[in-house]
Amino acid sequence: MAKNPKDIVLDPLSDNNPITVQMLGICSALAVTAQLNTAFIMSIAVILVVAASNTIISLMRNHIPPKIRMIVEMVVIATLVITVDQLLKAFAFEASKQLSVFVGLIITNCIVMGRAEAFAMQNPPKEAFFDGLGNGLGYSAILIIVAAFREFLGAGALFGFQVLPESYPGNGLMVIAPGAFVVIGLIIWLQRTVTKKYEEA
Amino acid sequence: MQKDEIHTIKFAAIVCLVCSLSLAGIRTVLLPIQVRNQRIDNQINVLKALFPDFDPQGNPLTLEERDSLFTQGRVPREWIPLYFDNFVTTEDTEAGPLYILSRDDQIVAYAFPAEGKGLWSTVHSYIGLETDLATIRGVTFFDHGETPGLGGECSKPWFQRNFRGQKLWDDGAPVTLEVAKGRAEPNSRTQVDGMSGATITGNGIQRFMNNIFRTYNEKVFESLRAEATEATEGVASHG
Repeated sequence: MAKNPKDIVLDPLSDNNPITVQMLGICSALAVTAQLNTAFIMSIAVILVVAASNTIISLMRNHIPPKIRMIVEMVVIATLVITVDQLLKAFAFEASKQLSVFVGLIITNCIVMGRAEAFAMQNPPKEAFFDGLGNGLGYSAILIIVAAFREFLGAGALFGFQVLPESYPGNGLMVIAPGAFVVIGLIIWLQRTVTKKYEEA
Repeated sequence: MQKDEIHTIKFAAIVCLVCSLSLAGIRTVLLPIQVRNQRIDNQINVLKALFPDFDPQGNPLTLEERDSLFTQGRVPREWIPLYFDNFVTTEDTEAGPLYILSRDDQIVAYAFPAEGKGLWSTVHSYIGLETDLATIRGVTFFDHGETPGLGGECSKPWFQRNFRGQKLWDDGAPVTLEVAKGRAEPNSRTQVDGMSGATITGNGIQRFMNNIFRTYNEKVFESLRAEATEATEGVASHG
C-alpha cells in the first residue's frame, strides 16, 4: 500500500480510480454530469465530505466500539453531507437547486463509506485525510471529463457558455443519463488500454 | 462484557449529541440566508412573468434588454427588492395570489402562479398577462424534474419566449392555448412551438395553463374587466 502522502493522493487519480477502477459512485456520476457547472459543485462537495469523514473517522478509529462501527461512520458522513447541503443552499442556491437530491445522496455514495471502512479505520488521520482527498479528486476528475464531453456534445457549450454555433443541433443521447454510461465506458476502455491493467475474471 | 456495552452506549450518545448539536447550530445560522435565497428566487420568477418594460429607476427598457434581463434571467439581484418595493403589489384573490405590476398608478401587467403535472414531476410556473387580461406577456417554468434536454427544455428561454403575445382569451371567451407537437402554425395566436421528445410535458403545461387561467378568469378577471369597462364608459369598447 502506498505510504507517502503524494502516492496516497495520486494513486486514486488513475491506477485506483474510484469510478473507473473501483467502480464506486457511478450512480451520481450519471446524474450530475449533464453540465460542467453541476459536476464541478458536486466534485467539491464530495472532496470535502470524503476528506473530512476520513479524517474524523480515523481520529476516532481506536475508540469506536466494533459493534456500532458502521453506524458511527454513517452518522459522521450524514452530518457532513447535511452540512454541505445546507451550505450550498445558503451560498450556491442555483447550483443546489440543480443538484437537488444528489447532494443528499452523497451519504449513500459508496466512495465515502468505502474509504472510511477500507482506509480510515486502519490508518492515522494524516494519511486518511490524503486518502480522502485523493479519492475525492479521482472521482472529480472523471466527473469533470464526463461532464465536459456531455455538455460539449449535448449542448455545444462548456460551463454554460455556447462554444459551438447556435445552429449546432445538440446530441440528445449525451443529454440524458445513458450518455454518461457511454462516456464512462469509453474512459474505462481507454484507461485499461493505456495502463494495461485488466481485472482477472 | 458489561463494561464494553456501557462504553458502546456512551460512545453512541456522545456521537449523536455532537452531531445533532452541530447540525442544529449550522441550520440556525444559515436559515435566514436560505429563506432569503428562496424568496428572491420566487421573485425572479414573478418578474419573468410580469416582464417589466422599465428598470427600477423607471427608465424604459428595449425588448432585447428585457429578454436578456428577465427571460434569460440576468436581472441583477439588487434590482429585485427595488421592483417589489416600488412597482409590484400582491393581492390575495379567491383564486390565489395575483401579482400586479404598476407604474405611476397605471397597471402595466398581471401575473399569477400556475402549476401542474408534467411527465415526472410538478412543473411550477407564473403566467404574466397584459392589461387586456387576454394576451400573454411572459411565462416562466421552474422547479421541475423533467428530463434535461427533453421536457426540461421548458425552463429554457426559447420555449418561454414562444408564449409572448399568445392568447388565452379572445372575443369575449377563453380560448385554448396549445403546445404544438413540433412547430406551431405560423402566425397562430393560440399555438406555441413544442419541445421535441416531450409530448407529455407539453400536454401537461397546456392543460394546467388553460385550466388555471380559466379559474382565475372566472373568479378574478371577469370582475376586473367589468370594472375597466365601467371606468371607460362611453368610450368604444374593444372590438
